[in-house]
Amino acid sequence: MGREIRENAIEVKDVSINYRILNNTTIRGSFFKKKNRSEIFQAVKHMSFEVEKGGILGIIGKNGSGKSTLLRSIAGVFSPNEGVIDLKNHSVSLMALGVGFKDTLSGRENILLSGMLLGFREDEIQEKMQEIINFAEIGDFIDRPVRTYSSGMHSKLAFAITAMLETDIMLIDEVLSVGDERFKKKSLAKMKELITDKNRTVIIVSHNMDTLQELCNKVMWMHDGEKREIGEPEEVLEHYARFMER
Amino acid sequence: MVSIEKVVEIMVNIIMLCAPSVIACLIHYFLRQEEMSFRRKSFFYIVYVVLINMCVLAVSAIRGVIGLQFIGMTLSYKIKYIGLGSVFGFIVPFPVCILLEKQVSIEEMGNYIKRLLRDLKSYFAYAIKSAKADLHAEVANSYLSWLWWLIEPICMMIIYTFIFGLVFQASEPYFPIFVFIGITMWNFFQRSVSGSVNIVKSNKGIITKIYMPKYILLLSRMFVYGFKMMVSFGIVVAMMLLYHVKISIYVLYAVPILVVLFMFTFGISCIMMHYGVYVSDLAYIVGIVLTMLMYLTGVFYSLGKKIPAPFGTIMEEANPVAFLIRGMRDALLYGEKSSGTLLLAWGGISLILIIVGTYNIYNNENAYVKVI
Repeated sequence: MGREIRENAIEVKDVSINYRILNNTTIRGSFFKKKNRSEIFQAVKHMSFEVEKGGILGIIGKNGSGKSTLLRSIAGVFSPNEGVIDLKNHSVSLMALGVGFKDTLSGRENILLSGMLLGFREDEIQEKMQEIINFAEIGDFIDRPVRTYSSGMHSKLAFAITAMLETDIMLIDEVLSVGDERFKKKSLAKMKELITDKNRTVIIVSHNMDTLQELCNKVMWMHDGEKREIGEPEEVLEHYARFMER
Repeated sequence: MVSIEKVVEIMVNIIMLCAPSVIACLIHYFLRQEEMSFRRKSFFYIVYVVLINMCVLAVSAIRGVIGLQFIGMTLSYKIKYIGLGSVFGFIVPFPVCILLEKQVSIEEMGNYIKRLLRDLKSYFAYAIKSAKADLHAEVANSYLSWLWWLIEPICMMIIYTFIFGLVFQASEPYFPIFVFIGITMWNFFQRSVSGSVNIVKSNKGIITKIYMPKYILLLSRMFVYGFKMMVSFGIVVAMMLLYHVKISIYVLYAVPILVVLFMFTFGISCIMMHYGVYVSDLAYIVGIVLTMLMYLTGVFYSLGKKIPAPFGTIMEEANPVAFLIRGMRDALLYGEKSSGTLLLAWGGISLILIIVGTYNIYNNENAYVKVI
């Protein structure tokens, strides 16, 4: 494909992420019981990879292999226990199911608040507001509290926010298959449009092999928190498919 | 022959010197959460006995009593000593624990303060916006909408004025306003602190998707309560006009008092918020302690007048909320000024609480998401 060598947008070096089990203590527990700190579950183990600027990385793997944990960690929701994640000062947004809305507020207010947390100024968001509302296709519901939304509307709005408020790095966790057929097509088209932008870096976590095949220029297969394989989509996906059939 | 009184007196003296440090040690063990040998524990206990008594003696030296003379010491002095010691017992372990953390250095502290200021600046707009949206949502679906912000406090005032004014015969000049100032400020403190315990859990949706300094959630919630407090103070002003309260220049004290109240509440709430994430039964304890404190704060009565001296004054000065409520009443209703030094001292302590609390949050917030 003769692409020139570009700088990296995401560099992940030797990253491990632990979950401590038994973390919720009670007062009684913390005063009278001996501390039990041994139960540590390592969700991501010594992971290293990088994504070049403008690249689209797909991550595949069975449930519980640490994909979402890794994505959250890249989004900065929590920092890794070991290792470094370097985003080279790019802005980043994470799109995931059950997205972070305040239930009591209206869709419009949630767009504004999410945008502000993503680092946009109020006037920038107001500019894009109508575009987001149109894309989300939720009609009058935009001014009603988010708790009244159906799960489809929820995801559509979330997708619209992340797709329209364009951050340098987009992390997409299993949300490309939301909504009805029409919205699915539309979001896929929008994704492709975003992806053609040479400055946007994307990581997609999905179980849908067709989507990954179509969108990504690189696929990583994660297994039990470790990197099993990374490389050309066809090859990795085929190995993964064969592995899953066994 | 040693008389019983003599023994009791010596016992009291020992308690006076040693008891506050027990509190300090408990807090220390809780904060550090590590295995310690008995020898190490006793070592820290002795360190705290020395530190806390030094602090108390320093304060009493400032107040004009130098050194400890056990002969002829009054009971009131001893109680003050224990009270002040307990206050220090709460505060001293925090700086000590921070100093014991490995990664702490002067440079680190500087960077951290810079980060705190930068984050406060960049997320301030979000906090305000979020508070506005919350306020809007609160009244959007009710019949009387924003009128509730007026109706609720006024009804509370009428109830308390009736019960404490008529039934319990509590009489202070301008009693309804007196009670109203108390409830207004207390409600702000109480709602913020008890709300802080669950605030991380209740914002789970947002914080699992995007990073923000977690105390911003708290700040936003406090703006909501702060706005309601301001509405109530609007009513206070209206009532002052209605009752023809004489206004003096000391009314200006209201501003620093509110600032200190906000800072103190923020500091305490930051610390509560952190432990609320890990300690699942904290909400009950905070509820009980706050109810107890409400009666010790003199929301419905004047501590200084109703509690026999010297306890009333001690309770008023050692409890910042009580001190601030009293200061506000003095400033607005009675044209008296409150102690500027004490106000400054509580402001300083609040600042320390904020720095300790936010530092603690910065160090731990990445783990919150994994726990909830």
